[in-house]
Amino acid sequence: MNSGSDSDSFDEGDLTARGRKAKGKSGSRANEKGKQKAKDQGYAWEATYTRSWDTVQEDEAGSLTGAVAELLARGRRRRLLAPAAAIRRTIIRHLVLLLDLSAAMSDRDMRPTRFDLSLEYAREFITEWFDQNPLGQIGIVGMRGGIGERVCEMSGNPQDVLKAISERHKLEPIGEPSLQNAIEMARSSMSHLPTHSSREMLVIFGSLTTVDPGNIYETLSSCVKDRIRISLVALAAETKICRELCDKTGGTFGVAMNEGHFKDLLFELIPPPAQQHTGAGAGGKMSADLMMMGFPQRLPDTAPAALCVCHAQMRAAGFLCPRCGARLCDAPTDCDVCGLMIVSSPHLARSYHHLFPVKPYSVVTTLDGVTSTTCHACARPLEDTPSANVSEGVSPFDRYRCQDCKSDFCTECDVFVHDVLHCCPGCET
Amino acid sequence: MDRSCHLSLIIDLSPSQWHLSAQPTNPHPLSFQTFLSLVLTFLNSHIAAKHENTLAVFGALPGKSTMLYSSLDADSSNTNDPPADANSYRPFKFVNTIVTKNIQKELDLLEGLTEEPPVTLVGALTMALCYINRLAHPPPGSVATETTTEADARILILSVSPDLSASYIPVMNSIFSAQKLRVTIDVCKVYGEETVFLQQAAHLTGGSYIYLERRDAFLQYLTMSFLPPPSIRHMMAVPRQDKVDFRAACFCHKNIVDIGFVCSVCLSIFCSPVPVCSTCRTKFPMKTLQRLNASRPSIPPANGVSNGSPRPPSARPSQGMSASLR
Amino acid sequence: MPSATGKAEEQQERSLHALLPFLQTQSQTSLTRLYQRPSSCLPIFRLLGAVERQLVMNLLWLESSIPTATMSSWVTKEGKTHFDDALDLLTRLHILTNNVTTKLGLSPAFKSSMRQAITGGGTSVSFGVPAESDDKRHAPSIDALDAYALERWETILHYMVSSGTGQMPVKPSQGVLFLLQRNGLMAMNQGQLQITSSGFQFLLHTPHAQLWELLLQYLQMVEERQMDLVEVLSFLFMLSTMELGREYSTENLSDTQRAMLEDLRDYGLIWQRKASSRRFSPTRLATTLTSSLPPLPTATNTGGAQEQGFIVLETNYRLYAYTDNPLQTAVLNLFVSVRSRFPNLVVGAITRESVRKALLNGITADQIISYLTTYAHPQMRKNKPLLPVTVQDQIRLWELERNRIKAQEGFLYTAFASQADYEYVLNYARQLDVVLWENTAKRCFFGSVEGHANIRGFIERRTGGGG
Repeated sequence: MNSGSDSDSFDEGDLTARGRKAKGKSGSRANEKGKQKAKDQGYAWEATYTRSWDTVQEDEAGSLTGAVAELLARGRRRRLLAPAAAIRRTIIRHLVLLLDLSAAMSDRDMRPTRFDLSLEYAREFITEWFDQNPLGQIGIVGMRGGIGERVCEMSGNPQDVLKAISERHKLEPIGEPSLQNAIEMARSSMSHLPTHSSREMLVIFGSLTTVDPGNIYETLSSCVKDRIRISLVALAAETKICRELCDKTGGTFGVAMNEGHFKDLLFELIPPPAQQHTGAGAGGKMSADLMMMGFPQRLPDTAPAALCVCHAQMRAAGFLCPRCGARLCDAPTDCDVCGLMIVSSPHLARSYHHLFPVKPYSVVTTLDGVTSTTCHACARPLEDTPSANVSEGVSPFDRYRCQDCKSDFCTECDVFVHDVLHCCPGCET
Repeated sequence: MDRSCHLSLIIDLSPSQWHLSAQPTNPHPLSFQTFLSLVLTFLNSHIAAKHENTLAVFGALPGKSTMLYSSLDADSSNTNDPPADANSYRPFKFVNTIVTKNIQKELDLLEGLTEEPPVTLVGALTMALCYINRLAHPPPGSVATETTTEADARILILSVSPDLSASYIPVMNSIFSAQKLRVTIDVCKVYGEETVFLQQAAHLTGGSYIYLERRDAFLQYLTMSFLPPPSIRHMMAVPRQDKVDFRAACFCHKNIVDIGFVCSVCLSIFCSPVPVCSTCRTKFPMKTLQRLNASRPSIPPANGVSNGSPRPPSARPSQGMSASLR
Repeated sequence: MPSATGKAEEQQERSLHALLPFLQTQSQTSLTRLYQRPSSCLPIFRLLGAVERQLVMNLLWLESSIPTATMSSWVTKEGKTHFDDALDLLTRLHILTNNVTTKLGLSPAFKSSMRQAITGGGTSVSFGVPAESDDKRHAPSIDALDAYALERWETILHYMVSSGTGQMPVKPSQGVLFLLQRNGLMAMNQGQLQITSSGFQFLLHTPHAQLWELLLQYLQMVEERQMDLVEVLSFLFMLSTMELGREYSTENLSDTQRAMLEDLRDYGLIWQRKASSRRFSPTRLATTLTSSLPPLPTATNTGGAQEQGFIVLETNYRLYAYTDNPLQTAVLNLFVSVRSRFPNLVVGAITRESVRKALLNGITADQIISYLTTYAHPQMRKNKPLLPVTVQDQIRLWELERNRIKAQEGFLYTAFASQADYEYVLNYARQLDVVLWENTAKRCFFGSVEGHANIRGFIERRTGGGG
């Protein structure tokens, strides 16, 4: 329905952008390899432009339902692959987000620009990350002009972090990035952290070069020693040092092929990582610990106003630190007066679903002995005639069964239960 | 124009609690029959407000949850229609008949039971959430649901049973899902003691929690507090609970603690430093224990001990208890 | 009837249903009679705003009236104006008893009927008596009813839109034509009915608004036709509470209401097998009278594939309309220059000429824009803003273009004897702020009508005094 002219012009713009980029770094053609997953396709600008929607194929009837079901099935299979046994996850996380703010970020191969897209995804990432890791903290370091720039101190409050990257003009990309400077800066801000919490860095890297004052391998080995896990999402191409940073520290490395893939790569880092069992560390694994936490009472709006210790403003509502009685605006936080970690019980509960996940449902392939005609959760009527040509891992009846309560669920609820709800409606009754 | 809204009502159908509620020794006895007729009136008021308003009713029974009515599926099942009647508006009559019939059917099924398992509200709550999720994601190909996708959805829980400590984690998970779906959870505690889980549910989703004091004015409570759709709530002084207890109970003695010791692996809460986590069997380093023992507040969780009634595992403190603490 | 449409727009701003002002003008006795029927109370209740509805519900189950102060303490500061407006409206509708300043209570008739509507029961027989099921003839299917309503309604609109073009579409019935004429939507011109400028505006309204506009006119004519307004209103309300696809008996209808059957059949609100039939079925037009959201069948394509949107507008002023509906094509033709037509697609462009043509017909730029917005294709709804800004602005600019010349009545003062004379009078006129134009070289200026008496007196005094 869209007129042809529109998309044509997009493609042209993109091709020129890519062409220009390639010209600028013609010497490092080998680096393009990572970007170009399909090697035999030749150069990026020669390959036909593929987008996620191009990979979705209509069936004979012109319907997309088959393709959509295929996507769902892929998600299901990934879930089944995940280890079912309870694994240890790091619940208390500390993450420094390293944003490339170099001139390479103004490239337009991702729309509107790499920079704008990264900022947008970073915001979504931070919101979602705090949602799933309420006890975690995020700091942000920018890389531009050859130095590391502290954009935001380590903070447990999503609002603080989001505010730090809300002003675009303060982050305008310029100059060359320096991985070493930025990593050292991030490392120093995490050196004091207790061992039971994770130390992670996530680098969004658009450039293919880095200007470093010293040997970056020394930085890498000190990160390994400090048990810092570095993950990197490259927007341009794979470089050896980036790959090595991630491999040596146990992080993940990925090259974003397009906007959607970029987002996927980022969001894969949101669930708490399984705890590392690196025996290599000198002190052995000391990852478990007992933490002292304060559970505050929420004061009603009608409480007498008092100065809060975090903003020094008169507030009526708020929380009281149970140890020193200081007035705090929000939880979770660390009490500014006595340093006690303040959490409310819902914050702890938010992490429980990582620890007690719902078991994957099994695929129903035959209707023998089935009595229910509707989805147990949403009462949607279920099919009783099998649909043809289903791929592996998809039920021909749109039925998925919980192994514990033997209730049947529809596809929609299967996804909802495992991705959002995290408890099986059948088992709870 | 104001938008249509969806209401998912969850009725707690615990026979024993309703039996207690109807006892004439109560200050305002409320029998289930009266309750049901008032609830049906409330449901009719909801549908009356707008032609497009949708409704789903769930029942939480002992050991079972079931859907009693859904306006989405009701239209198609025209087989057992109530006879048309010139004296009443058909949609109202329809709801009344179906809900009453289904409740009767479920209660009849319970007759044979000798022992009553506890009512699990959370089952009904998760079903309601799945149903709302279904409204928000109509299957491809259906056209009629264009209006419902836009609708504001809310859940109203009419509870008579006490908290079930085993369902703490599912309740919290449901609350977070409701937040994601932008669903408001309202709670009306019709009979029995305050439930902390539901208080938190209402607080965290921006709904209101009301403990029904004047049970003779039940309908007026329902109408004034729970009928307004969330879109106009900011204009009304709908009562909300102001004090919410976010303190936790330790896993070892079920004491309510102000300051607790939390296992970094499984987030179990203890009232005093322990060498081994009782939940996940993790050993804690000796150094930490010494440090924590040294820095422990001089009055250890005396709050909990002094009040220390035995509590179910991982239950949160009740309102009454926390009041006595202050 | 420009004043009426102006009012309608103003009401939409306050999101007040078009019928409510009409009801407000009725006497308390007729409203009380109307409120006797539960089937009238429920639709009226639905026409009210959210705050009004809540207020009514709050008061519904109270036995006695309560002090106003008690109720207003339930409203937060932000809701105060809303609350006061609501009280005001409800009083004028006589739903609240008169003394709102001190006590609040529903009027007894409304209260008892509304209670009855919600709880059911009673013997009002106001929700329509269903016809006995007939084995020989089945009730018409919902699809058949929709098709019927659609056909009726589009006949009317199509007749209007093509009245000026010389085509001869099917004529609606005489009653409908009379109504259109009375409404000022069409007028006799050289022995032929021609669409008027308010008629063009009417075409761009949503079906729901169009329906109510016609029905309001119908209500206004009721008295002339010696019909009982309360009977007419309660019949309309009863229709709106009926169920689609069900047959109702005419047995319990009054004579007035039976007479209405014919009119409503013409508008497509009800379906009857034949004029003398003793049963009737309401169509979707009737059953959705008091609901706001679901579109009327008129909005859907006969193919039934599209929900409502079918127009795609691009920044280059090109417009693609996925429709095979002659009416929609005809309406588009009002302001689009159509380039090509395909079986299910109309391609055109919005040009200066096409918009000018529409403006000359009395259609405003805002109406064009709101029509395009209402019927935008679902794909367009992903855009923000929905319509390309360039096109919106240009349509507005084209409208402004027409307003470059402003006519103002006045007087030209000329032939002054001397420059001093001229300047003296001009100064006086300037002090009065009535000078519209002046030319010192030619010693003349133009003053507005309001200033003429003064200036004339001034000149006379001066010449009189001087000579």
